[in-house]
Amino acid sequence: MAIFSMTRPELRKKIALQGIAFIIVGAAFIFLWNTLKKTQAANIQTPSSSRISGTLPSLLSDLNLILPISLLAVLFGVAFAFYLEEWLPTTSKVRSFIESQVAFFVEIPSLLYGLLAITVLFSYADVSKEIGTPPIQNINEAGLAAIPLQHNIAMFYAETLVFIFMVIPVAIKTTQEALRSVATPIRESAYVLGANHWQVLANRVVPLALPRILAGGCRAISRSLAVAALLIGVHIPGTRGIPDRFMLFLGGALLLSTISSFLIEIYVPATARHG
Amino acid sequence: MQTKKKGPILSIHNLNVWYGDNQILDSLSFEVQPRQITALIGPANCGKSTLVRCFNRLNDFTPNFRFNGEILFNGKDMYKKKTDVTAIRKKIGMVFRKPEPFRCSIYENVAYGARIAGINQASQLDAVVQKSLQRSGLWDEVEPILHGNPEQLSIGQQQRLCIARALTVEPEILIFDEPCGELDPIETVKIENLMRDLRNDFTLIFVTNKRRQAARVSDSAGFLYCGELIEFGSTEKIFTNPQDTRTEQYVTGRLG
Repeated sequence: MAIFSMTRPELRKKIALQGIAFIIVGAAFIFLWNTLKKTQAANIQTPSSSRISGTLPSLLSDLNLILPISLLAVLFGVAFAFYLEEWLPTTSKVRSFIESQVAFFVEIPSLLYGLLAITVLFSYADVSKEIGTPPIQNINEAGLAAIPLQHNIAMFYAETLVFIFMVIPVAIKTTQEALRSVATPIRESAYVLGANHWQVLANRVVPLALPRILAGGCRAISRSLAVAALLIGVHIPGTRGIPDRFMLFLGGALLLSTISSFLIEIYVPATARHG
Repeated sequence: MQTKKKGPILSIHNLNVWYGDNQILDSLSFEVQPRQITALIGPANCGKSTLVRCFNRLNDFTPNFRFNGEILFNGKDMYKKKTDVTAIRKKIGMVFRKPEPFRCSIYENVAYGARIAGINQASQLDAVVQKSLQRSGLWDEVEPILHGNPEQLSIGQQQRLCIARALTVEPEILIFDEPCGELDPIETVKIENLMRDLRNDFTLIFVTNKRRQAARVSDSAGFLYCGELIEFGSTEKIFTNPQDTRTEQYVTGRLG
């Protein structure tokens, strides 16, 4: 937010300072990368003896799986939040319905979505049969695991479900809050000059809300990465199906999160409206 | 510049406004003459701001806003369907109680209105910005820091910056919604003098709850009380020979 209230010399100073921070972080990252490359498969055991192992291929596979679709999901969520917040009137029933649904899905821990995804994977592609010999054995030239088509489709379903219920609500909620954070007088003082809705959004609202929108997008994507971490944990060699204790856990967590999201839905908006 | 018209520039007929079930304004009717300062006085929460926000259709954004009656701007009903609202807002500018400069340089603040109106050439923008700042009496003070941050200005200077910003689009009517509500007496005098200067080119509507200020500045005045227009007439008449007892009580300081 502060970047838009700065004069040019201030901005230059800020960019220089951030450049230093960027170099430090970059150096740290390269150091970390080299260390991780040396560890190879010492600590991270792939289920069977595969030709590749180590951090880099796993990392790339993860990003390859997650980044494209999560970027799409975040874009969709942001666009949808703009529609809800800027075009639907506050009295609209559609808006209050969608907002209550979003509030619900935001509260559910990402762990549960991972289990949802794994359920889909198990039931549509029957991954369980091949869990001992995962598809990571087939490596293409890019160093990425070539996944059979059947699994690809199942993964697509699983991912889509996870992203619809997990990433998009977070993106919607954070974007809406970012748009609300821009004070009404700022909008009004642009409107009284004869600006139309699009001009007010593009020139006045989005520049102020952008940092918060981007932060919300990062939060949404990091949530999808958390699911990936969970999948690694559940992907235990030799396991067939979802263990009973996970199902038990799923039920309990779902119950708890339902109660908490209802409490938040009832109390927080009421106080926020009158505040 | 607007040509001198004989009739009223703004006429309000039987205006009723509700927020939900709450009636804010109750059958108001009056006329605003061009090139005059029309003051609307009254205690807080009597509907002054709601009334002036009807003139540039800012109330359209308020949920539960309901409206009944007629507001004619230059003889045309501004609440008719298919009215170009942005065109009306360009013609009817507004300055708020709290100055709200945009978070960009002083120059860009003033130039924004011109940019919206479609002026993009640097030389034209420079001219418009200089003219507006000179008109609002701010040019000498901000010339060295034209590309600086407006937050370094005093609150009175910020208010005059907001006036300069409103002047760039060359409105016909300029609404001042308690422009001196947050200012000290010296800055208030500057704004009052500025309003007297602006009267030559614009029609001013001036909302205030300071009786003496309205008496000093305005040509005609209306007294609002609990959503009703108790009395409307020339300032002299309102302040020296009011017809209604409530007006008399208010201007003499016994009410509100």
